[in-house]
Amino acid sequence: MTINQTFIKELEERLNNDGPFSSHQLFSLGFQAEQARIIPSFSGLRSLDFLPHMSFLDHQVETALETIEKMNGRAILADEVGLGKTIEAGLILKEYMLRGLVKNALILVPASLVNQWVNELNTKFYIPAVHHRKHHNWEGNTILVSSLDTAKRTPHQEVILANEYDLVLIDEAHKLKNDQTKNYQFVRQIKKKYCLLLTATPIQNDLMEIFNLISILKPGHLGDVTSFKEKYSSKTEKQEADVYLKQLIERVMIRNTRENTNLKPSNRIIETVLVDFSNEESEVYEQLNNMQRGQDIFTKITLLREICSSREACYLSLAKLQETNPQDAEIYSIIQKINALPAHSKAMKAVELIEQIGDEKVIIFTEYRATQLYLQWILQQHGISSVPFRGGFNRSKKDWMLQLFKVQAQVLIATEAGAEGINLQFCHHLINYDLPWNPMKIEQRIGRIHRFGQDNDVKVYNLAVKQTIEEHILHVLYEKIKLFENVIGELDAILSNLNIADVEEEIETIYRESDSLGEAEIKLENLASIVQKIADETSEKSVGE
Amino acid sequence: MAIVDIEQFIIDYFSAYQCNPLKMEDGVMQVELTEELDKILMNRPFYWHYIQSLGQEGVPMTLTLITNPDKREQAGEWIDIGSPRLQQIFNHVTQHEKYTLLFQEVNTDKNTPLYPWLLANFKVSYRGRQKKEEIISLGIQLVTGKVIVNMMDELNKLALKQQISNFCYTISPIITLTSGFKRIEKIIQHYVENQPKEWANEALETRNEEIALLKQFYKDDLENNIVKKEMEEINNRYTPEITIDVTSGGLIYLLQDFPDIERFS
Repeated sequence: MTINQTFIKELEERLNNDGPFSSHQLFSLGFQAEQARIIPSFSGLRSLDFLPHMSFLDHQVETALETIEKMNGRAILADEVGLGKTIEAGLILKEYMLRGLVKNALILVPASLVNQWVNELNTKFYIPAVHHRKHHNWEGNTILVSSLDTAKRTPHQEVILANEYDLVLIDEAHKLKNDQTKNYQFVRQIKKKYCLLLTATPIQNDLMEIFNLISILKPGHLGDVTSFKEKYSSKTEKQEADVYLKQLIERVMIRNTRENTNLKPSNRIIETVLVDFSNEESEVYEQLNNMQRGQDIFTKITLLREICSSREACYLSLAKLQETNPQDAEIYSIIQKINALPAHSKAMKAVELIEQIGDEKVIIFTEYRATQLYLQWILQQHGISSVPFRGGFNRSKKDWMLQLFKVQAQVLIATEAGAEGINLQFCHHLINYDLPWNPMKIEQRIGRIHRFGQDNDVKVYNLAVKQTIEEHILHVLYEKIKLFENVIGELDAILSNLNIADVEEEIETIYRESDSLGEAEIKLENLASIVQKIADETSEKSVGE
Repeated sequence: MAIVDIEQFIIDYFSAYQCNPLKMEDGVMQVELTEELDKILMNRPFYWHYIQSLGQEGVPMTLTLITNPDKREQAGEWIDIGSPRLQQIFNHVTQHEKYTLLFQEVNTDKNTPLYPWLLANFKVSYRGRQKKEEIISLGIQLVTGKVIVNMMDELNKLALKQQISNFCYTISPIITLTSGFKRIEKIIQHYVENQPKEWANEALETRNEEIALLKQFYKDDLENNIVKKEMEEINNRYTPEITIDVTSGGLIYLLQDFPDIERFS
């Protein structure tokens, strides 16, 4: 506890040299400024005083407090999509900066989100974060945002590992679940004081994943590798050990769900909209369904799904089939019929829906690029303005499209890829033009609009064509499993108990291994029943607690 | 303690730096900077370098600062306690307005002695798992050795100027600046040593817990580089530390009766 002597020496020197000295007014302003910035208490969030323009939700403030005071700045922030993980992380970073505990930080996020992070930290938190690209320097007292992919590349990796960071933040941290990957080993080696890992899906399949994440934060918290594996790899013991394990995990991980944040700013209203095929369309559908070349049931399924989406999507696949089988009369005849089809019934339904919605913004998700183009055309024919959005766009085109959607166009037509991480709270109508087979995708889609900052009830319209594979999938996946109501984490756990890593793959396998559509449908029903049963048991248990 | 009146603070700041004219209307303030403040606040060294090399007069910029929430959408900079501009001003005044030499203003026609006081404003930081700071303002009279706390508050009640008033003269210190400073240093150290220590003990406990976990995790491989790295990180994060800085201070000549409690009773 020594006191720096520079003050008294400097004062003496200035007295000898007749100054320079501050006037009473300026001297007193300096003292006031010092007082205004003081941290008067070990506990509490001083940052709230310095961010009067922000209104935080209770769970966000609590998360920041808990991370700092109980977890000592090393935590997994695992809120469900849309509850404001970025906000929580920003608040924590701000608090540490105000307390002088963080001077430099390294923020590693997916490339598509770098700009968004830089903007949010600057405008919402007054944190002077910079994008690394504009700043070819990993050192110094700066808050750097970069993509993990850039950071781990030579020569960046070497410089980063030689440096020390007061805080390291990894967004989409589920990418670090596997301790054998380069990503993991790189992050593990970074020298850091505080560390925040952000992910909406902390456990997907295997408990080793959470073990690995926690080992970045607090090695040894869950014991050593060998004994952890012994304890939790056999399933019977797992059940009993669960409570203890859960408590341990809760000491380093915070997961807010829509359920446990009392505040439910908006509801989800899910509406199924069934569409009738026209006679011509039904004919084509039946013809595809009875195709001679149907030994490969998976190809057939794909074609059937596509014709339910748009004739363009189906046409592209058929044209490819024709290339490999130029003599096939059946394919030729179907292609002819498809060419003659009038406007797609489902597309017309979508137009009708949008017209009913009126002037409000709508986002449409489709699985197919061909459908995306077709929808753009047909909306334009009906005087509805729209912009496309897909993974292949570069970053600035994406930003531009989102801007157009925000200020001009009524509709955004998006394909899955590239929608990760975009925020569209200003829109509250979502049309699932076709339904993906992976429930995670659905949650990600809805999460774009049903998130922190959404003031309206979110309306989701699921379109499906009657008496087709679509209706069946809708029935099994989305009505029986109650995909929309089940908390995604729960479904996750259920599926991993059944050793199902990926629902989409599972369904595909079922179709591939079935000899007929009928058989596949029965197997799907069975799967749905099992999942439903486990879900019911789980919810009974939690009611019992 | 926070600055109660940000608006007053920035008005004081700009007027102390001779910025004119100050147009102040309903929480919207227009201020034409001086060259000095433009260089400090506007971050455009190339402009000033260029102007200088041409041998011309530069034109300082005009700032529009908004403190009224109803006017927030207007063109200009929004100012609140956290906004970058105010923080920049805070940085400027805390870094540059640290030393002072002042004399009490006295209206008199008799010879009047002024007594020397050393003022030092300390900032004490306690860093364990979390951090806390406090500011302590001490003054010591360099003739009698009398010490008072909250010296800044007392001074704010007085009129002080940079020149000595007519008919006033200063008494030479008997205690040197260095030994005066040593005396108040001792007082601060004594005070800090007698503060509660829970925060430090908690930090040490957490440190030991985490080190134990770490050792258990790596068992036989404690010489591993990554273990050393983790160990260092834990030490950096939890080892308790107290630092004492002097943020500002100076030499002040005051009437013999300071601090004059009577006047306010």
